[in-house]
Amino acid sequence: MYDNRASESAVTADDIKIEAKGVNVHYGTTHAIKDVDVSILDKTVTAFIGPSGCGKSTFLRCINRMNDTIDVARVTGDIRIDGEDINDARVDPVQLRAKVGMVFQKPNPFPKSIYDNVAYGPKIHGLAKNKGDLDDIVERALRRGAIWDEVKDRLHAPGTGLSGGQQQRLCIARAVATEPEVLLMDEPCSALDPIATGQVEELIDELRRDYSVVIVTHSMQQAARVSQKTAFFHLGNLIEYGDTDEIFTNPKDPKTESYITGRIG
Amino acid sequence: MTDATQIPSSGAARPAGKSIITTDDRTKKRNAAEKRFRMYGIAAILAGIACLVVLLGSILMNGASAFQQTFIQVPVYLNPEAVDPNGNRDPEEMGSATTFTYKPIVVDAMAALVEERGIETEIDPGDMDALFSAAAVAQVRDRVLANPELVGETVTFNILASSRVDGYLKERVSRDSVARDSNIDAGHLDIVDELRAEGDVVKRFNWDFIFGADASESRPEQAGMGVAMLGSFFMMLVVLGLSLPIGVAASIYLEEFAPQNRLTDIIEVNISNLAAVPSIVFGILGLAVFIQFMEFPQSAPLVGGLVLTLMTLPTIIISTRAALKSVPPSIRDAALGVGASKMQSVFHHVLPLAMPGILTGTIIGLAQALGETAPLLLIGMVGYIATNYPDGVASGFLDPNSAMPAQIYEWAKRADPAYYERAWGGIIILLVFLFAMNAIAILLRRKFERRW
Ligand SMILES: Nc1ncnc2c1ncn2[C@@H]1O[C@H](COP(=O)(O)OP(=O)(O)O)[C@@H](O)[C@H]1O
Ligand SMILES: [Mg+2]
Repeated sequence: MYDNRASESAVTADDIKIEAKGVNVHYGTTHAIKDVDVSILDKTVTAFIGPSGCGKSTFLRCINRMNDTIDVARVTGDIRIDGEDINDARVDPVQLRAKVGMVFQKPNPFPKSIYDNVAYGPKIHGLAKNKGDLDDIVERALRRGAIWDEVKDRLHAPGTGLSGGQQQRLCIARAVATEPEVLLMDEPCSALDPIATGQVEELIDELRRDYSVVIVTHSMQQAARVSQKTAFFHLGNLIEYGDTDEIFTNPKDPKTESYITGRIG
Repeated sequence: MTDATQIPSSGAARPAGKSIITTDDRTKKRNAAEKRFRMYGIAAILAGIACLVVLLGSILMNGASAFQQTFIQVPVYLNPEAVDPNGNRDPEEMGSATTFTYKPIVVDAMAALVEERGIETEIDPGDMDALFSAAAVAQVRDRVLANPELVGETVTFNILASSRVDGYLKERVSRDSVARDSNIDAGHLDIVDELRAEGDVVKRFNWDFIFGADASESRPEQAGMGVAMLGSFFMMLVVLGLSLPIGVAASIYLEEFAPQNRLTDIIEVNISNLAAVPSIVFGILGLAVFIQFMEFPQSAPLVGGLVLTLMTLPTIIISTRAALKSVPPSIRDAALGVGASKMQSVFHHVLPLAMPGILTGTIIGLAQALGETAPLLLIGMVGYIATNYPDGVASGFLDPNSAMPAQIYEWAKRADPAYYERAWGGIIILLVFLFAMNAIAILLRRKFERRW
């Protein structure tokens, strides 16, 4: 965890968006996350890498309390967003999830029209006063999701009729439509072909201007391409966290080194 | 790899390698086994279809005749001295003339008709009542009371023939059986033959079988399903109104909200077990709880509906839970991920996707309830003679009534073979309802089905 301290000293406290201290997650008797401390910066893409089953998704789901929906999951420790404890009894997870958007591994548009997919979040959070407002929000979100040009003529066609890559960008548009401040992405490209992956990666780089983006990926090339910070997990431990360039060129921990050179994975 | 493509042409020339043209013994055996298995499957399906054809065929053959009824067209002189002794055409005073007064009028009319057609017969004119139904007398009386101005005129009536005459036209009654029958003589049948030739006796479609009320044991020709149909209708309203909301709410709670623990496991197992509990058990429960303890009226569709609700709930819960389970979890994640509450995710996304399954399960549950007889036995809906139409919604729920399957059971139990025919006819009506409900289930499924 010394790297952690090192990175903290490298940035000013204002830039810290999410701060986790002593986070532990148990699934029944499985200890999935072991005492993880990490500080995630605003307007930065942070990549979580590590062999599969090491707890990347689990940790990501702690940040918007999606683990609440799993009966056997038990989360302890302190996670703060903008200094506010997200596990505080007064926090409504619904409000939290409006602030922390999530994009899932498999594109999962609602079986509704493209327009309704994007409009749903703003509608339930009361972000639009009238139909015109909502139309604007939808257009802005679809532009953010870099899919507006492809779907502007068929906003009322089903979202499930799009190609995989388009669906994933629609899901990103849906996530940004609620005006979140943090965007969590769990392997958003693992179900996509290389061209669609390229488009989504470009989009992630765009999103960095407004959001704190956390992306789980099993592709080290992807982590190197899109992220500024990288965290390496192994068997539930956060082994190393630092600037992406540093991690890939000069890893401090031998486990990190063997992972990025392909010896564990 | 490259020579693999040459095998077809050089197969025979290469004894060392294995040819794929000639099938070896193992493959032959396996193919034979597969073929055999396919044959078993086809045989099973054919046997099933054959049974179905026999079943439907026999139902149609036995029951179709119930939809036809024999009528006699007879001019009746409405003698004012008999039907309106006070001579003032006041329906209220005329009401004091009972069917006893009217019977001779109809008997005389029959005798007159026989004479007018020039039919030679040894039958005493006073014995003509064997030709027509007792219901015919009431039919004439009702018409007169409704139109007092008819008194004194000769009006042509289409009266119901007696069940023996009807049976004769349907070949259920023969001259042999008539010899042993005290209700009718061979002479009557001769009259019927002649009147039929004249076109006075006709067999035609009988709407009263579908919409009419049940009749007493001795008047099968008059009995219909209508009132029992209403009884079933009001029961189904109760079942639908209670079991759909309760069943869906319970399923949503169990599937989406309840924690996974010992208690919910026990509840789950018990619901599955309830689905297998014999329906008569629900019947005796209904008798004890609704009638004896809560003192609801006996034979009432409300009580029948409550009992059938208990019976239908497990079916609806099981199918609703299956439908909810089949909605991909990714949809729930997506909704929660954009900040929907649990309830919003269920009502906006999960429930609409589960709708086809829920509706299908509900309609199948209702169809089961519609055909259920045993529990009705215990709450007195069998054996009640449903001769009165309910005169409103409240009496539809609370007045004693029967139900379609109970009515069929009742008819099948009665001694007169004319009722046997009506039981089959009733089965046809019940099946039409069941087919219609299944068709609705399929249509709703189509309409609500969406891909994701
Ligand atoms: N819903 C769950 N129930 C029980 N165990 C789980 C569940 N989800 C994940 N786990 C366990 O937690 C560990 C970490 O899983 P996960 O976070 O999905 O790994 P990753 O995303 O890095 O591949 C694994 O050992 C996995 O088996
Ligand atoms: Mg994962």
